[in-house]
Amino acid sequence: MIRLLKEGVFGGNGNLAAATLGPLELELMQILWSHGESNVREVVFRLNRSLAYTTVMTTLDRLYKKGFLDRRMPDRAFVYSPRFSREEWERQRAESVVAGWLAGSRPSRELLFSSFLDAVGEHDVTLLDELEKKIRRKRREMRRRERS
Amino acid sequence: MNAAYLFRMVCLSLASFFLVNGVAGAATTLFSSAAIRIAEAMRPRSAARFLFILRMLPSVLGMTVVLGLCVPSYLWLEPQIASERVGFACLLLAALAVGACSQSLVRTACAIGTSARLRKEWLHTENEALPTEEESQAVVDEEAMVVEKREPLLALSGIFSPRMVISRGVLAELSRKQVDLAVRHEIAHRESHDNLKRLFLVLSPEFFPFVDGFAALEKTWARFSEWAADDEAVQGDSQRALSLATALLRVARMGARPRLSVLQTSLLPEDHDLSARVDRLLCVEPPPVERVSPSNSPAIARGLCFVAGVLALASIPATLSSVHRLLELFLR
Repeated sequence: MIRLLKEGVFGGNGNLAAATLGPLELELMQILWSHGESNVREVVFRLNRSLAYTTVMTTLDRLYKKGFLDRRMPDRAFVYSPRFSREEWERQRAESVVAGWLAGSRPSRELLFSSFLDAVGEHDVTLLDELEKKIRRKRREMRRRERS
Repeated sequence: MNAAYLFRMVCLSLASFFLVNGVAGAATTLFSSAAIRIAEAMRPRSAARFLFILRMLPSVLGMTVVLGLCVPSYLWLEPQIASERVGFACLLLAALAVGACSQSLVRTACAIGTSARLRKEWLHTENEALPTEEESQAVVDEEAMVVEKREPLLALSGIFSPRMVISRGVLAELSRKQVDLAVRHEIAHRESHDNLKRLFLVLSPEFFPFVDGFAALEKTWARFSEWAADDEAVQGDSQRALSLATALLRVARMGARPRLSVLQTSLLPEDHDLSARVDRLLCVEPPPVERVSPSNSPAIARGLCFVAGVLALASIPATLSSVHRLLELFLR
């Protein structure tokens, strides 16, 4: 079911998460996720640095070929739009990382689980320490009240 | 009474149950967020009771309609020689009802199995030597089962005559006062029959097979029943509240809690909201404690009134013949 949904969302490109994004590609994707459908000129305008029109055009074309973008031509220039949301991309990426670890050798799997457990354990200990502090504070308060 | 006649009755009953339970269940699920908001404005015991009634309402309504109206009208008005066939819609609804009921039965069987296995395991490691009165008066009074384990275990096991189970590790970790309060917390669960309520929750089918529509209600009920047990244990005393909060924290620091059955109540459930519980305990001036037992009587009385009302309705011939006409439509 989940696979079917994913295939629906990603247009059958289930291997999307395996495709990596370079720094410029990611930057362009961020612009399109934030501003929605844009043509090359608009993307160049929204970039925080000056880049050649042709560089941006080539990168957007590469993103389209990788399956990250949809494009249409209402006039003479292509207008690009993301094929999926930022959340979907991040979820796909996380799933891909975990799947990669799980498919790996036994030690790498154990390493992943122990890292997770450590992270959860640390979170737990911090929470318990905070609660302990609250209890101590309350106890002091009550003693002070009793004395007065 | 031949087999076809009985088969039709079973199909109709199941399909009617599915419809009533489904409609009431879907409505309950739809309004569960609003119901939880209403419950949050109540005291924990009343909130737990309100959510429990709401969760049980669809199944009870379904059962009452089937046993109070459908079955009597069928037996009274359906001629035994009738050779009607059961329609596809009716069969489909009956199959869905079987699916939902089987799911809850399997869930209950698993929970009972886990409960029995753990109890057996605990009996093996039970230490007959109870702590002395100096160590913990409450554990002595309760004749709790003390098990020779280091794990953080303090639970109430059993449905009709629940027994307290406590590990030697917990006894060693907590002070006498803290153990007493933790035991009082479990006594509060026992007095409000929380394990029996858990059984009803597990037994009560979902409104559609394999849909977990009541999860939010059940989780919130569990949270409020913990809060109510905390309140009843500390009895509005801020010193006691502080001791219970410390006990909770010490048990939490003991490490991974043993996995219990859904039919067992633990001092610190697995999906506990420790932070919220400790905060509540520290903020007390706790509210005045509600007594559990007397307020159960009006609830039972209201339930009996409802059943009596349905029976009275069923005893009017016009009601049964109307229901029978509906069932006839349904059967096709």
